[in-house]
Amino acid sequence: MSELDRRDFLKLVGVGAGAAATACAEPVEKLVPYVEQPESVTPGIAVWYASTCTECPAACGLHVRTREGRPVKLEGNPDHPINQGKLCARGQAGLGRTYLPDRYPQPMLRGAGGELEATTWADATAQLQAGLQGGSGSTVVLGGRVGPSLDGVIDAFAAATGAQRVVYEPFAYEALRSGTQAVFGVASLPIFDPGKADLIVDLGSDFLSSGLSPTENARQYADARNVKTHKSGGTRMISFGPRLNLTTSSADQWLPSRAGSESAIAFAIAQAVVEAKGSPAGADAAGIQAFVAGGNLAKAASEAGLETSELTAVVEAVLHAKNPLILPPGIASTGSNATSTAAAVMLSNALLGAVGTSVSIPPAEASAPVGLAEIKALVADMNAGKVKALLVHDSNPVYSLPAELGFVEALGKVATVVSFASSKDETAELASLVLPDHTPMESWGDRAPRPGVRSIVQPTVRPLLDTQATGDTLLEAGRALGGVMPEGSFRSVVENNWSDVDWRGALALGGVFTDAAIAPVAIQGDFSGLGMKSSSIGGNGEYTLVAFPHHFLGDGRGAALPWLQEIPEPTTKLQWNSWVEMSFATAEKFGVGFGDVVSVTTPAGRIEGSVFPRGGIRDDTIAVPIGQGHSVGFYASMEGEGEHGGWSAGPEAAAGEPGKPRGANVMAVLPAAEDESGGRVWLSTRADVAKTGRFRRLALSQWTDNQRERKLAQVASLAQVAGHGGDDHHGGHHDEPPHTFTAAYDADPDQPYRWGMVIDNDRCNGCSACVASCSIENNVPVVGEAQAIQRRDMAWIRIEKYIGDGNQKGGSARRPVPDSEKLGELDVRYIPMPCQQCGAAPCEAVCPTLATYHNKEGLNGMIYNRCAGTRYCANNCVYKVRRFNYFDYGNENFPGLLGLMLNPDVTVRQQGVMEKCSFCVQRIEGARQLAKDEDRNIRDGEVQTACQQACPTNAITFGNLRDDGSKVVAEADEPERSYHLLQELNTRSAITYLAQVTRDENEGNH
Amino acid sequence: MAPPATAVADALASPARPRDSRANIDIMAPTKGVQWPYFLALGAAVLGVLQALVVLLYQTYVGLGVAGYQQPVFWGLYIVTFVFWIGIGHAGTLISAILFLFRAKWRNAVNRGAEALTVFAVITAALFPILHLGRIWKLYYLIPYPNQRSLWVNFKSPLLWDVFAISTYASISVVFFYIGLIPDIAIARDRATGVKKAIYTVLALGWQGTGPQWKAHSRSVLHLSGLATPLVLSVHSVVSWDFAMSIVPGWHATIFAPYFVAGAVFGGFAMVINIMIPVRRIFRLERYLTDYHFENMSRFILLTSTICGYAYAAEYFIAWYSGVEFEQSSFWLRAFGPYWLSTWCMITFNVIFPQLLWIKRLRTNLPFLFGLCFFINLGMWFERYVIIITSLSREYITGSWGLYVISPVELSVLAGSFCWFSMWFLLFLKVFPVIAITEVKELEIHARDHGGAH
Repeated sequence: MSELDRRDFLKLVGVGAGAAATACAEPVEKLVPYVEQPESVTPGIAVWYASTCTECPAACGLHVRTREGRPVKLEGNPDHPINQGKLCARGQAGLGRTYLPDRYPQPMLRGAGGELEATTWADATAQLQAGLQGGSGSTVVLGGRVGPSLDGVIDAFAAATGAQRVVYEPFAYEALRSGTQAVFGVASLPIFDPGKADLIVDLGSDFLSSGLSPTENARQYADARNVKTHKSGGTRMISFGPRLNLTTSSADQWLPSRAGSESAIAFAIAQAVVEAKGSPAGADAAGIQAFVAGGNLAKAASEAGLETSELTAVVEAVLHAKNPLILPPGIASTGSNATSTAAAVMLSNALLGAVGTSVSIPPAEASAPVGLAEIKALVADMNAGKVKALLVHDSNPVYSLPAELGFVEALGKVATVVSFASSKDETAELASLVLPDHTPMESWGDRAPRPGVRSIVQPTVRPLLDTQATGDTLLEAGRALGGVMPEGSFRSVVENNWSDVDWRGALALGGVFTDAAIAPVAIQGDFSGLGMKSSSIGGNGEYTLVAFPHHFLGDGRGAALPWLQEIPEPTTKLQWNSWVEMSFATAEKFGVGFGDVVSVTTPAGRIEGSVFPRGGIRDDTIAVPIGQGHSVGFYASMEGEGEHGGWSAGPEAAAGEPGKPRGANVMAVLPAAEDESGGRVWLSTRADVAKTGRFRRLALSQWTDNQRERKLAQVASLAQVAGHGGDDHHGGHHDEPPHTFTAAYDADPDQPYRWGMVIDNDRCNGCSACVASCSIENNVPVVGEAQAIQRRDMAWIRIEKYIGDGNQKGGSARRPVPDSEKLGELDVRYIPMPCQQCGAAPCEAVCPTLATYHNKEGLNGMIYNRCAGTRYCANNCVYKVRRFNYFDYGNENFPGLLGLMLNPDVTVRQQGVMEKCSFCVQRIEGARQLAKDEDRNIRDGEVQTACQQACPTNAITFGNLRDDGSKVVAEADEPERSYHLLQELNTRSAITYLAQVTRDENEGNH
Repeated sequence: MAPPATAVADALASPARPRDSRANIDIMAPTKGVQWPYFLALGAAVLGVLQALVVLLYQTYVGLGVAGYQQPVFWGLYIVTFVFWIGIGHAGTLISAILFLFRAKWRNAVNRGAEALTVFAVITAALFPILHLGRIWKLYYLIPYPNQRSLWVNFKSPLLWDVFAISTYASISVVFFYIGLIPDIAIARDRATGVKKAIYTVLALGWQGTGPQWKAHSRSVLHLSGLATPLVLSVHSVVSWDFAMSIVPGWHATIFAPYFVAGAVFGGFAMVINIMIPVRRIFRLERYLTDYHFENMSRFILLTSTICGYAYAAEYFIAWYSGVEFEQSSFWLRAFGPYWLSTWCMITFNVIFPQLLWIKRLRTNLPFLFGLCFFINLGMWFERYVIIITSLSREYITGSWGLYVISPVELSVLAGSFCWFSMWFLLFLKVFPVIAITEVKELEIHARDHGGAH
């Protein structure tokens, strides 16, 4: 906060409030002091704006909560058809971009000394024009996908300056686009609705984590498996893949196929489908036959390392299902023949009737990202000196392109490299000119992710720093070069683009959402150059290297956001760094274990990482997450904190090491391989593993996945859910009556409320959106890697992951060993763990100062001011949900502008006090004010806790247990599934868990 | 157990009148003069205290994170050491009060040292619950005092009981120690000159050794013994309830109070022996601290060690017999989990080694006793470490299982606590007689008049 004194702060607040008040009208270009208070802004009352999330191409709708002119929380827009009020962890954390210490405060120009130096916009603009005008060669605009309005401006700029535009996204799904084009003649990304299928065959799509629209798909999938409405258990999923990823963990069957065998499996299924269903009328039957001719179940099974009978059973199930859906391989399993694979999958989907029900094919995108082939051409041009100016926006190619492509060297041959990055990244740090864009929270823009959905990005805060919208920069530059550019500012460009609709209505709603039907497509079948080929994974190494998108970091853009670094990655529960996943057998072979550093060598390079041995990966495969290894960024690199300095280091560990990467960038060591259509290949190489002899502990938030038959995460079979088969304690479901107490009574009898919660473990897929939401709502500090290694994370809610019922073995090692996963076996149980708000809370009795107490409405209150820090409550908490402020996290761990992001409704905790989940008591109190004004009780559903609000699958229900008509009481009324955690201890927990349902293959609709 | 004739053999050659006794000279000798080894030791102790003070200031300033806490282990070495020192403080009161009431005359030679040890151990122990607080500056929140905000403390919390138990014990110990010292301070006063004399004069409270004074004195000691006796049992019982009243597997056991008291007496005696052996040797007090005393203390150690052994066994038995998996796992992992070494150290040092004391020759072999007691102290420290750390690291939610690793900061404070204790004890040695002169004289007279055993 040292950069921002009180006066500046007040100015910002005033300006922000002014902007907020007038965000729907012309921006007011003057300061509005609070003595003239904006009519719509009341200090203490939040103002909400609708906007659109720009963290991934799914384009979920946002509701931005602003307080006194500052955005403090992102929630899903309930009116938005894609996310329907929900938001994933990445979207939640995107709020932080506005406040990151990484932001460029003003334009930067590379000075004589070779360093980026601050400059003015006038100077920077002049430099840009000079760079665009002088010299010979072309201008290239390189960047990620943006909305239609900015697309228009960039295209106009390109036309005005004769520049070439290259749209580049690391995760561009080129193969799926090309494959769809091959089958249907439309180069677009299909829209999947897993909820409309009754059987999903997942060929490594990981659609719940890194898919095309994870939040939407998670909801659809969970709804389709709701055992209340689907007595048969609903949609089933069979998942293929070499490692247990997030999606696989929610499947019903896992076939651990060898990495690279997706193609063979896809073709084997396609061949069987074509055989069974025939070719549709009007399609080139012979062409289709020839295309799938390579498909063979036995060969596929041997390539995948599976039994032929297993594959046959899958094919049988697909052919017998009413609405089967095959999901094409995702990023991690994009092999050298990915386009053929995608085409085979889409062909099968079309023949199986999925296209039109669970799959729709939208029209081709206006500016689709290019494949690696075009990038190679660009690099060649750059090397040949044909490019005089490279303008990079919304993209970080230096980080995300394969190192062997030589992009960095080629960059040196370009006279003017301009970056529009609002925050430091590897590319911007190599640019000659940085013209920082506003962050999404400060920007105008729009998104059109699919037909019928037009979504607005609107600013919710006045730009905090001296930045300028890239749209405006380009408009200005285009005009200066004599081009024909749209009139007015970029804001008016956006507004003009929306002139066909009610602009103010669209701003209020967040966009225009219609039920525009997507025109049906027919099989065209142009399969030239495509067909079944065995995956050609290069390199001579012993292990197939699977580079998979980190659940939170995506293509690496999430690494700058501290929450995404610190929230445990759901499938491994690892925080902060990169790791090398390998099976226990492989680890044993190298004589390494948890935390031992190994090197991974591919033909394109070498990285190092600590070993994370797990049961859920094939012996012939190693896996490294994509997204780490940044050398720039306060949180993304080691700039914010040094290498773990030992126990005594304490806060000194935070003495950063700028330029030192955090973890390893696996993308850099992947060969620059292309598939048939020139798309980038991610599953491209084998790797050699070697022990280095060093040890670097990984921050692991959960040291064992063995619940020792303690029935923490319980399961119930479909028969049990249906109310029979009660004697069959399949999976260790509770054998005690679930309701030996009524939590509703654990409050003052005169009070109308006893707050409680129901968590449906069957709906939880582990995505951890709740954790992000909770952390941001409740000002939960991020502690950093060194502290996370000491397990001092402050999360108020965590998702525990257990495998099966567990056994009495284990727990005796000093190194953590989550070792219950077994290849091909699926019994992953996620259990979200907030404070249980016990009716007879063990924490309350032992606090000597009554800092934690039972309030009249049954909540375990926590009075931070009264806490002396004896920590007895945390010892006595059986659920281990209490967190202690070992250092002054509240002051020190929100550096720079991040302090502005704090929720003013929640106290920032001091060094030495205990804290924990409060059931979002500030939200309860907010609702109470309203109810009091209207002289009524708080209505059911009026209070949503942050975790509940964010949960994409609606696994969490919160409400008043005293109100018999409330949803939370209705949800809990499932005697066959409901249980209280550790009920035998009589803590009288206010949270009712609903056991996960095991969907036996022999039950239900198969 | 009256002392055998040999126990005070030298004393039998005592003169007719108490004031002719050599005890005054012998026992007061250490307080005289300046010996450089003494100041070297004192200087080292003071330095040790200072380094711990600096480290504690650092810890208070930056936060408790510099200690080794890792979730889910929220209590660490500070609480371990707190219980250790509180336990040490038990021997003094036991020797002074209970053995006094039981008229165990042999206690007279060791009670002064033991009482001093108690006082210093308690003031050492009392530091730890304070310096382990997250916000030391809010210490007064733990004390019930009238205030405008009408804030009160939680009388249900065992930590609050601790506050009362320790403060009561500390005050009784100090008073007991001081009352017992008065006649000896008077002796010191009579032998001192200058400023020292003035100070001793004030401290002696006008003691003249008159009949009524002696009567009042012995009455006071008797009554204080009566008051202190239940405290021996209550203090460590209350400390044990810090654990037993919780719901943590491995802590939540009814055996804790007697188990802790026995352990405390055990550890306390070991510490008394560990200190008195060098004191006796350095200050040539062999005439007063005889083998007989050490043998008796060894017997006590043997008894309490066996009680501890029983308690260990009972804990494991009950964990198994309860059928509760949480308890069973907790104890299984104590013995075979990540902290197995601590557990086996504890069992070996506390139960197996002391069994050698069945051999009479070893009970009077001082080098052996010294070594044994050193290990017992170590073992008793490990006992608390095992109880606190292993239990916390393996609780109900397996996903929250973790470890605790001691940090250098904590080690420095641990070392500082020994220095702090030593500093007080060394100062005590220089200022007051380490053996109760008057009580020894009483013994001498007793021996002279009755010829040893009755």
